[in-house]
Amino acid sequence: MAPRVIESDVCIIGSGISAAMVAEKLAEERTATIVVVEAGDESDRLNQRPALRRRFLDYGETPWRKDHLDGYEVAGIQSRSMQVGGLAMHWGGVTPRFSPEDFKVRSLYGVGNDWPLSYEELDPWYQEAEVRLGVAGEQGPQELDPRGRPFPLAPIPLSYNLLRLREWTAQAGISMWSQPSAKNSVPYRGRPACCRNDTCTPVCPIGAKYSPDFTWEALRKAGRVQLLPRTVVRRLVRESSGERVSRAVAVARDGGAELEFRAKTFVVACGYAWSSHLLLLSGLANRSGLVGKYLTGHRNVSGYVSLPLRLYPGMNGQHSLVSKQFMRVPRGERYLRHDLRVWESSVGKEPRLTDAQGKVLLGDELLADWRRRTATGTARVRAYYDVIPDRESALSLDGSKRTPWGDPLPQLAFRDAPESAELRAWSEEQIRALFARMAKAGGGEVISARSDSFQDHPAGGCRMGDDPATSVTDSWGRSHDHENLFVVGAPTCVSGGCANGTLTFCALSLRSAAEIGRSL
Amino acid sequence: MAFLPRRRFVLQLAGLLPLPFLARRLHASAVADLDPRLLRALASAVLPGALGASGMERTAAGFERWLAGYREGVELVHGYGTGELRRTGPSPALRWANQLRELDAAAQRAHGASFERVTVAQRQGLVRSALEGQRLAGMPAIDRASHLSLGLLAFFYTSAEATDLCYEARIGDSTCRPLAQSERRPLPLAERS
Repeated sequence: MAPRVIESDVCIIGSGISAAMVAEKLAEERTATIVVVEAGDESDRLNQRPALRRRFLDYGETPWRKDHLDGYEVAGIQSRSMQVGGLAMHWGGVTPRFSPEDFKVRSLYGVGNDWPLSYEELDPWYQEAEVRLGVAGEQGPQELDPRGRPFPLAPIPLSYNLLRLREWTAQAGISMWSQPSAKNSVPYRGRPACCRNDTCTPVCPIGAKYSPDFTWEALRKAGRVQLLPRTVVRRLVRESSGERVSRAVAVARDGGAELEFRAKTFVVACGYAWSSHLLLLSGLANRSGLVGKYLTGHRNVSGYVSLPLRLYPGMNGQHSLVSKQFMRVPRGERYLRHDLRVWESSVGKEPRLTDAQGKVLLGDELLADWRRRTATGTARVRAYYDVIPDRESALSLDGSKRTPWGDPLPQLAFRDAPESAELRAWSEEQIRALFARMAKAGGGEVISARSDSFQDHPAGGCRMGDDPATSVTDSWGRSHDHENLFVVGAPTCVSGGCANGTLTFCALSLRSAAEIGRSL
Repeated sequence: MAFLPRRRFVLQLAGLLPLPFLARRLHASAVADLDPRLLRALASAVLPGALGASGMERTAAGFERWLAGYREGVELVHGYGTGELRRTGPSPALRWANQLRELDAAAQRAHGASFERVTVAQRQGLVRSALEGQRLAGMPAIDRASHLSLGLLAFFYTSAEATDLCYEARIGDSTCRPLAQSERRPLPLAERS
């Protein structure tokens, strides 16, 4: 059967948040025809989410019913999300920027690699991303949190609990402020203000938190994109002569003829795992041998601190305080950079079935026991610290596992560069000591502290750089090897910084979109 | 054709039906089997008196709705940092209905009266006996509670109403509330915003 051919100016593969940024910007600024190809299903619509959220609250059921592909069980992957809107359908909406230092750790501290662009160059794109997502934020101290323009939305107010906890951190000498979030503090772009439903992760029932489906819905309604869900791109194919990519070969999960997408420009926007996977399957963009390499992220140390404060857990549990006070390495000290966050918590204060003597508590006794133990409060503290990625922190093709279409699945193995591996134990010890100092300053104590084994907020795999020998794309996300092939968002990151990467992925994607637009 | 014994016939018939269908029927039948009067007697023994009669009734009725709405084998929310998928477990309804009957039988044996007719203290004693030997600590997940009494407690104590009752404040956890009001201390339970 002859393949069904779909032609466009721009073919975007993937429909997550980076793809949404590229499509929206191109649709606004250019007349180009845009086709978006998504392997997953349509996501549930906003009007279905209150009921799905109810099932989540009552039974723990997932509110995203068709968010992954069966047969795609992958070693080392951190989420199975694959649907229209991608992983950002169930993100927490937390949108800090990276710090200026993140972009030049080699120049400043002699570790890792510098990015091929500076924070200052990215600042306008951060601003644009903040406007498109609707970021509510509070300006931190200018020297720690520089920005060219104010946040588009007023900050999410600090709850009574966070106000008390900010007083506590101030006693410990730490300046903290409201975490920037893509959650409406006031109605914005037709979506309502947040009303503290407290289920940002996994689902906002009212659409106060940005998710990419809103962008897709608007673009589709306006006829500005053609989005094909349930369509798996298996290969990108080069022209027989030359280095341009000529088509993407795909299968519809519902069967039928093979599909062939022809476009002037191809944009790979499949996140940190599937972007490298597609390029490896296609044998493209890999002159450097670095496709899939330098997977990056950051690790965290989390803890709970018991404090002599009367707090009221449940006021806005997913919102936090943040500080960038520890983003710079003091002169002459070992390399450690981290952020710091504080949330309200009920850990250690939950209702219990037995008292300290093991007696079963029922009726009034149980409530009285709970009330006694909640006379004081708990804070959750977390620090994400920078991990320098190793070249062999990598995604590779797994010869032993295949997709339902016979292609090798990827396997992922994150690895610290030697300098980070050497510092790991010491770094975590320093952060635990910080928690202990904070607890002491408030007259409390650390209940527990632990470090996640995995690297959070993954990125990399197609890192950007000026040198084609040591990077996969240039700073615009254009493949060094193929002038009409772009990789956008998470995969292009050189490092994972010390904060959630999504806003940075969006800023980078918008910068790529500007270059894609110029090249059309 | 020789007649099949009734039990064997039913089992063979069941073998022809899809498993999810059978599970749903079994679950519905067990939910219907949960005696509402005994359940309310249990609620008044294990829930705090501060709830009052209407709060007890609201909780018991809510628990019945929760149980009726339970579905086996449904995908759970994804864990953080893992691609592993998990699903809801078997319905606890049949097990819990049996446990409620056992509490009633134990009341008859110990006190010569139905579970709903004995005093709250006697009911609590019977629940404690039923829980004897179990290693208890925090609240279990509702559906994985080893005993109906624990399922009922977990149902109540994971509610926004329980949190408000504990803190004696109108926190309204996980309910839609104006953002601006979050800056002030929650109002005492008795007051309205």
